[in-house]
Amino acid sequence: MWTEKYRPRTLDEIVDQEEIVNRLKSFVKARNIPHCIFAGPPGTGKTTAALCLAHDLYGPGYHEHLMELNASDERGINVVRETVKTFARTRSIGEVPFKILILDEADNMTSDAQQALRRTMERYTETARFILIANYSGRIIEPIQSRCAPFRFTYLPEERIRERIQYIAEQEGLTITEDGIKAIIEIGGGDLRRTINVLQTAASTGKPIDEETVYSVVGRANPADVRDMMLTALNGDFIKARNKLRDLLLKYGLAGSDILGQIHSEVFRLNIPERWKVKIMEIIGETDYRLLQGSNEEIQLSALLAKFVEAGAEIKRGS
Amino acid sequence: MNIPWTLKYKPKTLSEVIGNEDAKRKILQWIKEWNGKYPKKRALLLYGPPGTGKTVTVEALANDLDMELVQSNASDYRTADAVQRFAGRSSQYGTLFGKKRLILFDELDGITGSADRGGLRVITRIVKETSSPIILIANDAYNPRFSTLRKSCQLIEFKKPTRTQIARLLAKICSLEGIQAESDALKLIAERANGDVRAAINDLQALAQGKERLTFEDVAWLRSRDRKEVIFNTLRRIFYAGSITGALRAAQETDVDLDMLLEWIYENLPYHVKDPKELAATMEMLALADVYRGRISTTQDWSLMRYYIDFMTAGIATSWSRKSHGWTPFKFPSRIMSMSRSKAERDVLKAISLRIGRRCHISANRAARDVIPFLRVIFQNDPKMRDGLARWFGLDEEMVNFLSSEE
Repeated sequence: MWTEKYRPRTLDEIVDQEEIVNRLKSFVKARNIPHCIFAGPPGTGKTTAALCLAHDLYGPGYHEHLMELNASDERGINVVRETVKTFARTRSIGEVPFKILILDEADNMTSDAQQALRRTMERYTETARFILIANYSGRIIEPIQSRCAPFRFTYLPEERIRERIQYIAEQEGLTITEDGIKAIIEIGGGDLRRTINVLQTAASTGKPIDEETVYSVVGRANPADVRDMMLTALNGDFIKARNKLRDLLLKYGLAGSDILGQIHSEVFRLNIPERWKVKIMEIIGETDYRLLQGSNEEIQLSALLAKFVEAGAEIKRGS
Repeated sequence: MNIPWTLKYKPKTLSEVIGNEDAKRKILQWIKEWNGKYPKKRALLLYGPPGTGKTVTVEALANDLDMELVQSNASDYRTADAVQRFAGRSSQYGTLFGKKRLILFDELDGITGSADRGGLRVITRIVKETSSPIILIANDAYNPRFSTLRKSCQLIEFKKPTRTQIARLLAKICSLEGIQAESDALKLIAERANGDVRAAINDLQALAQGKERLTFEDVAWLRSRDRKEVIFNTLRRIFYAGSITGALRAAQETDVDLDMLLEWIYENLPYHVKDPKELAATMEMLALADVYRGRISTTQDWSLMRYYIDFMTAGIATSWSRKSHGWTPFKFPSRIMSMSRSKAERDVLKAISLRIGRRCHISANRAARDVIPFLRVIFQNDPKMRDGLARWFGLDEEMVNFLSSEE
C-alpha cells in the first residue's frame, strides 16, 4: 500500500508540520520525552510523527520498544487494566530507559478507560511514555490532558500535498496531468492518506491519470453514498432510503457513528431552508448521543431518515 | 416413516463422514497397527464437541473393516463390576465367528462419580491389557478425571465441520428427500448449528419434512419461535389500536418475544403509516423504545421494561391517525433476513478490516471506511497490484475473492 510505502521513516523525512518536528527532534537529542497528545484531523501525520520519533530515539529496531494500540478496536477498560499495564511496567533494555506506548484514536476511549489510563500513566512514568493520538483533544479527559505535552497538527498546505503526489508519481513512473493532480487534491481534502489512496487507485487503471480517471475511480469506490441516501429520504421514499442505510451498515461495514458524521457534514451543503438545517442538526446530535448509549444503529438512523422525509414534504409544500 | 434423518442418513462408510479428514486418517493408521502385534497405545481417545461425528466415525469404521462393534454408552451402568463384565471378557477373546472385535466406550463424560464408582479405574486397567482395539469417546478429554486414563491413550481431536461442509450434506439430504431447497436457507441452518451436524440435520427435518420447497424465510422463522398468526394479530392491534389501553394490552396478551416484536413493527410501520409527519412521529416512538432497550441492556435494570413496552405500543398508536389504506399484508422483518444472510460476509469484512488496520496503523472501522472502498477498485483493476497487496496484507483466498467481486 503506497500510504505505507511512502510513509516517512525518520523525523527528517517529514515534509511538513515543521514546528512540531523541531520540538520532537529536541526530545530525541535529550533522549527523553514527556507524555504527549497529538491532536488533529485525519491524514495529517500524527501516527507517522509518533513512529518516526520512536525510530529516531531507538534506531531501526524500535519496534521492540514500542507498542501500538488502537482505542477504537479495543476501547474497554480491560485493555488499559491488562495490556497497557503489562507493557508499561516492565523496564526497557538499552540506553533509553523507557518504552513508548502509542494509543491511537484515544478520543474513542470510554471515560472509565481514560480514568484507569490516567493512573497507569502516573504510576509507570519511569518505564513508559504515552503518546495519545486523537482527532479532538477535547474528548480526552482534563486530568490526562494536564499530564501531556500537546501538539496540534493541521491540514497540510496544498503545495506540500502537490509535491507529495508528484514525488510518488515520479517514483512509480506514472503519467499524471495537471487537472488530474488538481482533482486528487480536491478529493483528498487535505488528508494525505486519502490523497495517496486515491492516487494509487487511479494508477491501478493503468491509464494516464487525468481528471476523468480520478473521478471515475472515486465514483466506483463509493457506490452507495450517504448523500444519495439523504436525498432519497428527502424525496419521500423512506423504504428505499432505509435499504440504502442497511447496505452501508451491513454490506460496507460502516459504523453508525461514521455514517452520522457524514450526514452531519453533508447537511449544510444540502439545498434546503436554513431553518431546517438547524432543526435536523438537533436531531443528528440526539441520535449520536443515543448511539453512544448503546441503542441500535439502524433503528436510530432510520428514525433520523424519517425526519428527512418529513422535512422534504414540508419543504415541497413551501413552508 | 417417521424415522429421524440422523439415523436414516447415518454414514455407512468412512468416506461418507463429513470433515475431520485428519482424524479419520489417524484412526485408520492406528487400527492397521493391530496386525498381529500391539500398537504403542492400545486405546484411542476421540474428543471434540457434540455432533462432530465421533461415534458415527467409529461405527462406519467397524462396518468398513467388517469388525464386530461392542458398545457401551452412558445409558448402561458403568460401575467397576459392570465394566469388567462387559469389556473384561470382550477384550480378551475373539468372537465366535472369528470376526475381529472393536470395543467402544462412548460418552465417557457421562461416567458419574457415585453411580459408576470405579468404572474409570477399571477402564484404565483394561486399556493397558486389552487384546482387542478399544476406542473411547469424550467431549472434554482434558477433564482432570481422565488424567490417568489419558496417559494410556492416543488422543485424536474432532473439529467442527465448516458451514459449507454441513450445508453440502444438507443439500444432499434434501435432494434424496425430493425437497427443493434454497442454498441460502441451508447455509443459514448450517450457520446456526455451529458445527453440530446432528443438530443441523434435526433442524432440517423439523423445517423441511413433507415439504416440496424450503425457502430462506422458512428458516429465518425458526429463530423467533413465534407463530405468524399471533404476530400479525398483535401488530394489527398495536397499529390500529382504539385506545392506549388497547395497544398496551395487545403486547401484554401475547407471548411474542419483545425484541422480535420491535423488529416486526420496524419492518411494517412504513407500509401502514404513509403521511410523512406521522411516519417521523411513529418512528421516533420506536426509536425511543429502542433507547430503553439499550438502557436495559447496559444497566440490567428490568424495571425499565415498562417504558420499552409503552413507547412500542401506546406511543406508536397515538402518534398517527390510524386510518387504514385498505388491506396491507404484514412482512417478515427484512432486517433480520439481511443480517442472517450477510453474517458470513460481514465476518470476512471484519477480518479484512482488522488486518488492513494493523498494517496501516489505523482502526478496523477506519479501514472499512477509508481503505477498503479503494482496495476493491484496485483489486478489480489490476491483478498484479492485487496479488502484491494481498500478500502484503496477509489476505487469504476467500478475502481476496470477497474484495474482487463486483456487487
